[in-house]
Amino acid sequence: MMIDKILKSLEHIPAFPITILKVSEMLRDDDYSVVKMVDLIKYDQAMAANIMKMSNSTYFGSRQKIGTLRDAVVYLGKNNLIRIVQTAGVSRYFKQKGRGYVEKANELWEHSVAVAIMSQILSRQILKREDEKLYLAALIHDVGKMVMGEFVNESFETIARLVAEGGYSFLEAEEAVIGINHAELGGKIAERWNFPKDIVVALTYHHRPDLIEQNNNIIMWLVYLADQVCILTGITGGFDGLAHRGVSEVMKKFKFYEKDLELGMIQLVDDLEHAKDVLGIV
Amino acid sequence: MSDIVVGIADMKFSNNPQDVLVTYALGSCIAVAIYDPLIKVGGLLHYMLPDSSLDINKAKENPGMFADTGVRLLFKSCYTLGAEKKRIITKVAGGASILDNTNYFRIGEKNIMALRKIFWKNDVFIDREDTGKNYNRTVRLDIANGNVSVKSSEGFKCDL
Repeated sequence: MMIDKILKSLEHIPAFPITILKVSEMLRDDDYSVVKMVDLIKYDQAMAANIMKMSNSTYFGSRQKIGTLRDAVVYLGKNNLIRIVQTAGVSRYFKQKGRGYVEKANELWEHSVAVAIMSQILSRQILKREDEKLYLAALIHDVGKMVMGEFVNESFETIARLVAEGGYSFLEAEEAVIGINHAELGGKIAERWNFPKDIVVALTYHHRPDLIEQNNNIIMWLVYLADQVCILTGITGGFDGLAHRGVSEVMKKFKFYEKDLELGMIQLVDDLEHAKDVLGIV
Repeated sequence: MSDIVVGIADMKFSNNPQDVLVTYALGSCIAVAIYDPLIKVGGLLHYMLPDSSLDINKAKENPGMFADTGVRLLFKSCYTLGAEKKRIITKVAGGASILDNTNYFRIGEKNIMALRKIFWKNDVFIDREDTGKNYNRTVRLDIANGNVSVKSSEGFKCDL
């Protein structure tokens, strides 16, 4: 059974970059040492290189020119530093050559970054703040697709046909053909990474937040909404495109109106323009 | 032959028969392709939202973002290359939505309605269109002959 093979493969999924967790932890202390922070990041060379590629991106908006890792730690500011570390660290899961329905890995990366950026726009609009946990959940919401992509080669066409002709949503077609959908698989990966429960749930239900009984998980709803906005805007990251069911209660839940959504879309186009270096690291 | 990419909230126009204007993966956004067959001038707009009154400053900075300011820019740009309104052929694609189109996320529909209103007011006739439904579209306008092709994310292709 394909599902057994897929679940078995999770045993070999690389551990979540420990540096991200350590940096988060260190940043919780207001008096963190710059030297210790630089040492910590430097230790993960791939991550350090990505941070340097991204740190002059206008999305992270430092006024100082950043030439060294130390500059990045000093000038980016706490919020940007954690997001840049998360982005640099997570990108490794999107580097593999896409197969099956992740046609090009960099498209899924672009979608993932766009959803992460959109999640912060919505968070500012709705919660009046940014949220690093939400950013991380949004960034990895489709990680299940990368794993699934390695196995679906033959089933790919069946899934596509069910969506095009059978009235199935993409998720329903995945379940019918493979026995599990990419969101659920993403949740299992997050579980293996020992992520907090709200992130696991957010990944598992990111297309159908209406299907879980205890549905007051804000991260889940905002990842859902951010994902839908990006999908509508055409930044879909895969062939599933628009084949997802709309869950209208999300708008009522946040007293959010179409106009707010449209203003968020304008901001998204702006932010993406400033985040080109971020997209370039995969 | 070279592809000139039209991004989100963007517009390109040309009278070079070597050019193909292309815009990828339209969702709820809309592509408007216009073409004057006599002098082989064409333009392609990819707008995102129906109405510039939402953010007038943004519309000044980037008119291609909205239906009203984008369409005006598209036609005026082609006029600068000699296109004439009476000869212009207009084709439209996009404005899709997600499944179970409940009464939220109606941006695709709103985009289509806004465009019809603008065209109706200005006596522009839509010659061909492929709008609505639930899939992404990639649209190409070939400046050499005015052909407009639409490729859907579900794999099929048609000429408008």
